[in-house]
Amino acid sequence: MNPNLRLNSQPTIESSANRRLWLWYGILLAVLIVFGARLFYLQIVRHDYYRQQALSNQLKEYTIPATRGVIKAHEGSQIAPLVLNEKLYTLYADPVYISDSHAAASKVAAVTQADAKEYEKAMRSPKTRYVVLAKKLTEQQKKQIEALKIAGIGTQAQDYRLYPQGTLAAQILGFVNSDGQGKYGLEQAMDGTMMGTPGKLKAITDVNGAPLAASRDNIQIDPKAGKDIILTIELGMQKQLETLLKQGLDRSNSKSGSVVIIDPGSGAVKAMANWPTYDPAKYSEVTDASLFNNGAVSSPLEVGSIMKTLTTSAGLDLGVIKPDTTYFDPGHWELDAHQITNVEEISSGTHSVPDIVNLSINTGATWILMQMGGKTGEITATARDRWYDYMVNHFQLGKATGIEQGYEASGYVPDPNNGYALQLTYANTAFGQALTITPLQMAAALSSVVNGGTYYRPYLVDQIVDESGKVTVNKPKIVRSNVVSAEVGRQERLLMEYSLAQHHLRPPFSANYSVGGKTGTAQIANPNGGYYDDRYNGTYLGFVGGDKPQYVVMVRINEPKVGKYAGSSAAQPLFADIAHMLIDNFNVLPKTGP
Amino acid sequence: MSLRPRTRPPAKYQNSISSVEQSSSTSRRHRPDYGVFVLTSLLLLIGLVVVYSISPALAASQHISQNYFITKQLIDVGLAVAGFFVAANLAIRRWQGLSNPLLIIALFGSVLVLVTPINELYPAHRWIRLGSFSFQIVELIKLALIVWLANFLARQWALGKLADLKATLRPLLFILLAIGIVVAKLQSDLGSAAVAIAIMGLMAFMVGIPLKKVALISVGIILLLTLAIASTGYRRDRLAAYLHPGKDCQDTSYQACQALISVGSGGIFGLGLGYGVQAYGYQPEAANDSIFAILAEKFGFVGTTMIIVLYGIFIARLKKIIQRSSDQFSRLIVVGVLAWLSTQMIINIGGMIGLLPLKGITLPLISQGGTSMVFLTVALGIVFQISRYTSYNVTQPKISQPSSTGSDYGSSDRRGFRRPYNTPTAARPRT
Repeated sequence: MNPNLRLNSQPTIESSANRRLWLWYGILLAVLIVFGARLFYLQIVRHDYYRQQALSNQLKEYTIPATRGVIKAHEGSQIAPLVLNEKLYTLYADPVYISDSHAAASKVAAVTQADAKEYEKAMRSPKTRYVVLAKKLTEQQKKQIEALKIAGIGTQAQDYRLYPQGTLAAQILGFVNSDGQGKYGLEQAMDGTMMGTPGKLKAITDVNGAPLAASRDNIQIDPKAGKDIILTIELGMQKQLETLLKQGLDRSNSKSGSVVIIDPGSGAVKAMANWPTYDPAKYSEVTDASLFNNGAVSSPLEVGSIMKTLTTSAGLDLGVIKPDTTYFDPGHWELDAHQITNVEEISSGTHSVPDIVNLSINTGATWILMQMGGKTGEITATARDRWYDYMVNHFQLGKATGIEQGYEASGYVPDPNNGYALQLTYANTAFGQALTITPLQMAAALSSVVNGGTYYRPYLVDQIVDESGKVTVNKPKIVRSNVVSAEVGRQERLLMEYSLAQHHLRPPFSANYSVGGKTGTAQIANPNGGYYDDRYNGTYLGFVGGDKPQYVVMVRINEPKVGKYAGSSAAQPLFADIAHMLIDNFNVLPKTGP
Repeated sequence: MSLRPRTRPPAKYQNSISSVEQSSSTSRRHRPDYGVFVLTSLLLLIGLVVVYSISPALAASQHISQNYFITKQLIDVGLAVAGFFVAANLAIRRWQGLSNPLLIIALFGSVLVLVTPINELYPAHRWIRLGSFSFQIVELIKLALIVWLANFLARQWALGKLADLKATLRPLLFILLAIGIVVAKLQSDLGSAAVAIAIMGLMAFMVGIPLKKVALISVGIILLLTLAIASTGYRRDRLAAYLHPGKDCQDTSYQACQALISVGSGGIFGLGLGYGVQAYGYQPEAANDSIFAILAEKFGFVGTTMIIVLYGIFIARLKKIIQRSSDQFSRLIVVGVLAWLSTQMIINIGGMIGLLPLKGITLPLISQGGTSMVFLTVALGIVFQISRYTSYNVTQPKISQPSSTGSDYGSSDRRGFRRPYNTPTAARPRT
């Protein structure tokens, strides 16, 4: 019936081949069943585990950087920008996807106007998926790059600080590093205010971290932009001051110096300059990090004889001297087995308080200090305590002012009761040695005297503008009232005017204005002990105003190489320039009466 | 069964003097097995859908046009379908004639591939490239191997020389060695070498070479594999990664680990067609070798089971055609194609689900990879053609009935193959 029956009865390979087919088929089906079981295990039994694994790879949390606040300053009645933001682009390559690196490199280099060979080399970097080709591409360049449509070439947006005024006020401003952190100056001190609150993005991303739009697990919290800052700085004054400082330094063969101009009526810093400086737009190219420091607030020094303005103020306020007090000066004092002498020999004899300021008599300043303890010839513990109280609690020396600057130094005031050779040390503090003070501290201290006794915290931030445009104006903050009495303030102004008049500054000042000042020639401490014989810093502390002082100016010139006295030869002429600049250009109100 | 319009082999056939050609012509042409076509199309379609859905993801990470991958896949599928129909309409005996030329072309290609420069995109000597067109030579080798082996083994079988060491086994061992050197060593494509060896081994097994000899060949294969693995550093790493899975997802086991994550995170129903994440750069070779993992992530256990079942049905279908092929050459062709499809599928999926070490070969018909797709569909086209000549009953290839004593059946001359000859009963393999 079936023809195959006959066939099957014969000895052929057929039945065996059939068995083999069934065997193979059986194995295949068994493998498929094992696969099914394995899939059941992976996809159902172990699903939660692998889902977690997947999410730990895929779900990434990002901070969305907030737009950083910008920095502006006054320019007359206007507000002008000092620091802005600029969106620039980083150009990168993913070597894995670049098939023709030669063509890609030359096309990209044509846009960035860079060396194609460098790019080609970078595009061939092995074992990396991310090579930065160029930074700070403009929006237009970015569009040109995108138009090339080269696989493996991409751009990334990044905010950069833009400095429309160039290097102006660089050390006041500081910079923002590549991690978005404010460093030095205002950027550091006000980092929290300007930074804003970063947003958060929790999203499923691709392997490169780019969020995928269509994902159910995405959470986004928008960033809150940082606040803008308007400085107390007067841009015009700042510009002129930086120019004058550089000229003054060149004139006196000095390599570095600082000037602070503050408003004694509020503590607002109007201008603050240092030399040498740097370009904040190119902060990464700076090799000497000390250039980042704002020397006026972060570099304290032994200020020298300008300290006598504070010594006399304290003596007057304590009532141990009067502006016309005369005394006998022996020409030298012997304290703790050391001689206190004068720089320029002063004949022993009768001298007056104005002489102490005008002739800068160290022995006279020491004498005032002795009077605080009521014992001529000795600086008693009482004298030291009272002087220490004035320095630290009245004039706020030895502690940071709290100005909005990174790395502010607090300076150093020796302890009145602990230490070696206290009388000698304290005698030195009376004329500005053996203690350190920043130019800003000095300016703020004198301000508190000449304004009639109110110590205002020196400050740089005038206004803070938030995202919605709401303006918060910083009011001057009184740290201490009755630093000295108003009468002492008036007396000290007269002493300083007298001293300035005796020094014949050039060009002379009009009698319509009240200008006073004091020179300082500070010895520089030798790290090996004692002082250098031939190195001095020149300082000058003065004020400019009419009926009341409008600006207090502190000048510091480091190691000038001119004349004998750094104070009168180097710092004083610079102060004269600055005082004239203020009178000529910055609305100093003349005196109303005689 | 009896309702099926299939022609029973005529009775006269049983005693006829037969050659392969004659025997294939003895089963009359009938309706082909459309199941082969339907399954092929289904798998191609699934591949298209998955590649379409991940095309933007792949494009995004490679900065190229969104449609690049899907366009490429559409072209490949078009070529594959065309290849299927050309092969499906080519008379089966034409392939017999092509067996030697195909092998020569494959060998020539293997030499050509060695002088084709390699680069980051093509890190091994596996591709022949002309402009943007690239061609993976090993796929042609697989097809040529099937056709040639079917021809060779059918003849040796007809001659009753299957167990003959000199006439049959030595050429087989020579081919084995050639595959080892050309594919595994020179092209460093161990996955494809394994598939080619499986094709050969299974064809030899299915033609009825005595098991003892099969065992001998198996030992040879194992030795070859051991050598290949031991001689290449990254293969040792991959094997180590396979033996110690889940240790870390970074270095050598990264792809395998990501595959497990892709598969496991799919769950029962998957994340949905548009929601997969692994294709966004996490899963290497998402459209090619790892497409099963991507599919598992998108469609879950339901989807993967469906794929497994589809392959199961395909295997059953091909098995049925093998059973009903009345002609040894045709039968061996189908055996080779089934070996190709199933082995490659097992190696690929097994690697993706962590049961086998990972190998860089495609998932048959679904993965992107034009050469693999086109040559496999051509092979399936041949199967489709063969399915027109199956017999109604489960049959075996008829053993030739001797009518005269042939004196030169050791000759490899094809004409000699047609000549009537004797098959000594003693030479028939017993297993």
